[in-house]
Amino acid sequence: MVELKEKISEVFRDTNLVICWREGFDPIHATPHFVREESQIEDSIFNLFCVHNLCVYLPFLKEKAGILVKGCDSRTLIQFLQEGLIRREDVVIIGISCRGIIDVGKLMREVLYEAVTGVSIDGDSIKVKTVSREREFQLTSLLADKCKICRYPNPLIYDHLIGEPVESKVSWDMAYEDIREFEKKPLEDRLSFWTKEIGKCIRCYACRNACPLCICRDRCIAETRDPHFTSQSVELKEKFMFHFIHAVHLAGRCVECGECERACPVGIPVKMMKKKINLEMKELFDYETGINVDDKPPMYTFKAEEEKIKEHEL
Amino acid sequence: MPQESKKELRIIGFLCNWCSYGGADTAGVSRFKQPTDLRIVRVPCSGRVDPLFVVRAFLSGADGVLVSGCHPRDCHYSDGNYYARRRLEMLKRLLPFFGIDDRRFHYTWVSASEGERWQRVVTEFTKVIHGLGPLKIEEGEEIG
Amino acid sequence: MERIGFLKKEKIEEYLQSLSKKGELYVPVDVGRAVKFEKYLTGSSICLDRPPTLPPKSVIYPQSERLFKFKFKKDEGNVDLIEIEEVEDTKKRIIFGARPCDSAGFSVIDNVFIQTDTPDVYYERRRMNSFIAAKACDKPSAGCFCIAVGGGPFDDSGSDALITELEEGYLIEAKTEKGSLFLDWELIEPGDDHLEKKLKKKEESERLLSEYLGELKKIEPLDPKTESFNDENFWKRHLSKCISCGLCTYLCPTCYCFNITDEKKIFEGERIRSWDSCMFFHFTLEASGHNPRPDKFKRFRNRVGHKFMFYPEKYSQLIACCGCGRCIRFCPVSVDIREVVFELQKPRRV
Ligand code: SF4
Ligand code: SF4
Ligand code: SF4
Ligand code: SF4
Ligand code: SF4
Ligand code: SF4
Ligand code: FES
Repeated sequence: MVELKEKISEVFRDTNLVICWREGFDPIHATPHFVREESQIEDSIFNLFCVHNLCVYLPFLKEKAGILVKGCDSRTLIQFLQEGLIRREDVVIIGISCRGIIDVGKLMREVLYEAVTGVSIDGDSIKVKTVSREREFQLTSLLADKCKICRYPNPLIYDHLIGEPVESKVSWDMAYEDIREFEKKPLEDRLSFWTKEIGKCIRCYACRNACPLCICRDRCIAETRDPHFTSQSVELKEKFMFHFIHAVHLAGRCVECGECERACPVGIPVKMMKKKINLEMKELFDYETGINVDDKPPMYTFKAEEEKIKEHEL
Repeated sequence: MPQESKKELRIIGFLCNWCSYGGADTAGVSRFKQPTDLRIVRVPCSGRVDPLFVVRAFLSGADGVLVSGCHPRDCHYSDGNYYARRRLEMLKRLLPFFGIDDRRFHYTWVSASEGERWQRVVTEFTKVIHGLGPLKIEEGEEIG
Repeated sequence: MERIGFLKKEKIEEYLQSLSKKGELYVPVDVGRAVKFEKYLTGSSICLDRPPTLPPKSVIYPQSERLFKFKFKKDEGNVDLIEIEEVEDTKKRIIFGARPCDSAGFSVIDNVFIQTDTPDVYYERRRMNSFIAAKACDKPSAGCFCIAVGGGPFDDSGSDALITELEEGYLIEAKTEKGSLFLDWELIEPGDDHLEKKLKKKEESERLLSEYLGELKKIEPLDPKTESFNDENFWKRHLSKCISCGLCTYLCPTCYCFNITDEKKIFEGERIRSWDSCMFFHFTLEASGHNPRPDKFKRFRNRVGHKFMFYPEKYSQLIACCGCGRCIRFCPVSVDIREVVFELQKPRRV
């Protein structure tokens, strides 16, 4: 990846900080890499394991930074700009046209969490060597779910671009088919689905902290005692409350990067709830998150006459 | 089990101080007959109603939640109910995704002089909730 | 009395059922994309082929537990009129299928909650009434490093019994008095003949793990004089990527920090004790609004310091990390605590 390192060097000369990736603790994990010294550029990588949405750090930075974004991640920047969470002049964006990344959690589950000692990728197949054996997978079977329905493989905003443009044939309807399918279930089944899933939650808040749009974090109402929105008890209702908080606070803001879901150690499909709201935002306000810098998030504004909201009769 | 329940159910109403709360008062003063399931929380404006208040009410045992504010264009703070409308509509569409019947949540506009309208809203909504019965969000098995 | 038994594979179901009659039995269960300890119910399918996502810590030290209930008899706030209802928990709990590191984790907590002048009665009571059988590990999982911190895939510290999965069945070795509970002679047979196979497995497993670990084979406690420890730039360099969630501490078998809150509804309520995490902002937030650990760097430093420096200082060089690897395996940004300790111990760069 000569091109990658060259671009990083170029941006680094301007910003003195570039947020990118380097190799993680094993061959199937990459880890975010804060380049603050020239010598650290050498370690930067981009591969199928660069799953993180690095934008998560930006609103908290007090300095100018260069940042690497995949197509999907780039929407986060646009959303930040819409909401005034960053200033355009404070970021130098290196965009990467992306062919998809691997669902590392799924891969770990496939090999039963055995320690991985090597991987090799050859065309469409990936060989994973663990301490006890070697297994081969089709790349497509390990592709992250969000990549299978990606509509924006190419960055929507950037200063530098790496890679050939990638074409996406995914339509809006295809991208939201999972939500539509789920909604066909009877109400009781939906409730019991969430009862089981949310019941697993340990409220570690990894989903919240991995979410680039959850910018309150330390001041999150899920944790404050005043107001006392949730209690410390592990009752199901408290867990539901937390998930409603995250979903409602992301209404018309979630860019569907899927970080919340990826971060969750117990595999709760937390992104689904936000996708559902996004679907409604489109229907009600013809709004899609993270596409145009000049858009206004629908919950930040109103119209005196709403075309799509009808009065509800009893 | 959406069977007609005779027992009183728990319905929480968030009412704007400037209109619906007054409307409820008018209804009371005029001695309009109303069901007694509703517990009222007075708020300064429907715009103060965070959708999460509604959620918290459900999770704390409410079987139905009603939000009522000033009619569009009549908000005391001019835009409060416009914002509220968007948020509450969003919530109404989200609830069934979690398996909570959206009929359990209703938002509407009632002015201070509309005692009769208030009576109708409460009566009708209470009927709907009784039709649906108590809301059950079952506890899963917990360790410890 | 015989201390080693052998259980045929086909009898496991029957065995667990019989165990569940002796106390409340907890086994690792696949709950969909995660493995959790749950109460055993007839037909529960026990999942031993991968490390449990969450350690069994919560069985003995629940994420949230009621300490007592209270009720104001008449006037709210009048202390004389409070009625207190204590919790008497004398239930017998059995954990089957922990990992050796999980058991070792309890030993770390025991030092703090039991081996002290003021034991924590809630924890002590549960711990004393618990029986733990750990399943030895055939091979390392992603991030495992138990041997580097004094444990091992066949280590039995903290366990009452050690289970080795062999081809035809399970070898069950009682390691403490309490361990006899797991030797149910109606269903198992003497196991001495299988010992040799077990030793082979042990050797093989330890070899695999140390090969996997390479230079990280041994981790020493941190010297309190470690220079980089107090160097802000060190933490900035290595932990800028941390997103300061509570995942690493909530998944950790050795983390024991808690918070106490009164949850009150009008005239009555309960006092609960629940896990807390030094990675949270609120952990050190003072009533004045001042926070001595306002940023993630100071918070992470505490976590590493607590596990590898302060705790060993206090408890005869024992590291408060059992090397289960969960915090590495599941950290959303792949922070590797071993690497941080390792870097801290490197001679300082000039
Ligand atoms: S990451 Fe998962 S377990 Fe943690 S709070 Fe979020 S949903 Fe719950
Ligand atoms: S809610 Fe999840 S998918 Fe949406 S922006 Fe946050 S992390 Fe990304
Ligand atoms: S080390 Fe990882 S798991 Fe722990 S707080 Fe930081 S990001 Fe979260
Ligand atoms: S610090 Fe990490 S590796 Fe050590 S015991 Fe805790 S979770 Fe396991
Ligand atoms: S101080 Fe932090 S690392 Fe130590 S036990 Fe508490 S939460 Fe765990
Ligand atoms: S660290 Fe890994 S190998 Fe060691 S006891 Fe725990 S699970 Fe087994
Ligand atoms: S003042 Fe009544 S809705 Fe705003």
